[in-house]
Amino acid sequence: MNITFLQFLLGVLFLSIIYLLLARKNFEAVVAYAVQSSAITVLLFASFMETNSIPLLFVVLVTLIVKAILGPVFFFRLIQKHKLTYSVSTYLSMPLALIIIATFTAISRFQQFSPLTYIIPAHHALLSLALSAIFTSLFLIINRKDAISQAIGVLSMENSIVAFAIFAGLEQSPMLQLGIVFDIFIWLIIATVFISMIYRHFGSLDTSTMKHLKD
Amino acid sequence: MELIIIISSLTLAALIAVLVKHRGVIEFVSIVAMVIVFVESIVVAIRVATSGDYAPFTFLFIDALGSLLILIIACVGLAAVVYSVPYLRRETATTIIGFTRVKQYYILLNLFSVAMFLAISSSSPILAWISIEATTLSTAFLISFYNKPSAMEAAWKYLIINSIGLLLGFLGTLLYFTSIDPSIGNGFVSWQTLGENALHMDPLLAKIAFIFVLIGYGTKVGLAPMHTWLPDAHSKAPSPVSALLSGVLLNVALVIVLRFKLITDTVIDQAFTETLLISFGVVSILISALIILDQKSYKRLLAYSSIENMGIIALGFGFGGLAVIAAIFHIIFHSLVKPALFFLSGNLLITYHSAKIANVKGALKVVPMTSILFIVGFFAITGAPPFGIFLTKLLIFSAGIRIQPLVVIAVVFCTALVFIGFFKHVTAMVFGEKPPEIKQEKENIWLILPSLVLLIIVLILSFYQPPFLLTLINTAALRY
Repeated sequence: MNITFLQFLLGVLFLSIIYLLLARKNFEAVVAYAVQSSAITVLLFASFMETNSIPLLFVVLVTLIVKAILGPVFFFRLIQKHKLTYSVSTYLSMPLALIIIATFTAISRFQQFSPLTYIIPAHHALLSLALSAIFTSLFLIINRKDAISQAIGVLSMENSIVAFAIFAGLEQSPMLQLGIVFDIFIWLIIATVFISMIYRHFGSLDTSTMKHLKD
Repeated sequence: MELIIIISSLTLAALIAVLVKHRGVIEFVSIVAMVIVFVESIVVAIRVATSGDYAPFTFLFIDALGSLLILIIACVGLAAVVYSVPYLRRETATTIIGFTRVKQYYILLNLFSVAMFLAISSSSPILAWISIEATTLSTAFLISFYNKPSAMEAAWKYLIINSIGLLLGFLGTLLYFTSIDPSIGNGFVSWQTLGENALHMDPLLAKIAFIFVLIGYGTKVGLAPMHTWLPDAHSKAPSPVSALLSGVLLNVALVIVLRFKLITDTVIDQAFTETLLISFGVVSILISALIILDQKSYKRLLAYSSIENMGIIALGFGFGGLAVIAAIFHIIFHSLVKPALFFLSGNLLITYHSAKIANVKGALKVVPMTSILFIVGFFAITGAPPFGIFLTKLLIFSAGIRIQPLVVIAVVFCTALVFIGFFKHVTAMVFGEKPPEIKQEKENIWLILPSLVLLIIVLILSFYQPPFLLTLINTAALRY
């Protein structure tokens, strides 16, 4: 596939993470995750186009089903079941969060990270962006107070790492990729069950209200 | 073949727990499966000790350290299953849990054990990562087993923090693959291939990769400052699960870190990885020592003690040389003593219905066997002679005093604090007058036996090690 199109897909991934940081409604956050996962699926499909490996096509299909369809469906059902329209607030204010994202994006271009971003020199800019997507996802998990956003943050971080691996040429064998997607699928089920249980116990998804455990 | 029997026995036990509705059958099958696993683990260990690394299939590989870990998983796993039977029956009798929960417990416990075996015996780092992630997924529901808000909080924290850690570990793992030609093994890369091709890796990239791996898997090891999930999870899980988490899982993750250390050390000067291990080790010991001193819950006390001990093990591998042998011995001793202490803490919890140190008084009069063993366990875990941990600490510190004298002085001071803290809490719990509402009951021998056996094994191993075990320890020390 055209490199410009692949750049566009990575751009979609990065922007979806920014949107996840800004979104106030859970529904919007899930849509952003669905878009992001679709972009990852297309990126994997591009790898298939290059290799024509049938097992890889199977990985693409499973990724599409798990990440772009089932994941969002699980979250939508959760939102509908508990009427969780609005997301809980963040720890840091919006301007501060944006400054931190900008810092992460700048840091990922630092000389210290050049061994990472020059794994394939032609993909330097793409690897920098994928790296900042990883950092921003990490920040998303830390900054968000609600359980749904934290779960989406973890999945988003995984997507960012997959994107990094693709552009760095570090893709694994289809069998191992299937193992990873299966792990993500189980993680998704467990996370949604836990979110439901948290809501039943605490009456909200605000993890900052969980203060039963202290030394 | 032995590894296949181990994995299929546990998988079958989990499957039977899913299908069968008779409690006795589920318990019996789980114990039988663990007995088979224990026997097969000894066979594997003897085979590795006599014939070297064992790789029966493309996906499975066991080295000396791996076979030691397999022995530990099997031994502690068997003790945990035997202890679980009377423990959960007691919980059911007091209507804390129902049959469905018990069923779930045995399914997840067996799956958890399978995941740990796979993590250690996988020939591929990615397969090992998948297995380690599977340990997180199988234990999340075991931590939230009592379905209380505090247990839920602990389980969520465990799930999120460990998932982040493991994703960072995954990124680090992927970075090691830059040394490999993508065409090798059709994308399936083994530990061996990584080691053989490590010299092609960019040294700077190796440093970054190891940092990611250490932070990532180090989260699972419980090294500070990534340890925050550990005291919560270990204190809220049922005691047999805490025993497995503390005694086994932490070491399984540590072995993965050590395998990456081995690869990194062929690319760059090993001082880099050693300094990192020493730094994380010291921080872990320091933080746990300070918290142990003023701890309010005896289960959290044991959890912080695990962080301290993992710190000491990290120090051992960081100091290198003789300290590595001591660190391997320390892994074995800690893996056996800590589960014993967690089982005994379960007995105290059953009797006193509270995990708070302040609520447990006069235990020697109420549960004398448990109390005596708890005191023995306390001496064993804090490194009092004649227990092996005394010698392992001494060896690690004496190896380190020449390299990092200030670090060793600080650590010795911290371990003294740990002893004082433990002593203060244990004496407060064991001696004194029992609360009037606590009735003295006859202790169930099956709740005592697993701890007793583990502590006897520790005592024997402190003086005598079977030749095959000594061979494994020496071989592992030479490699790592």
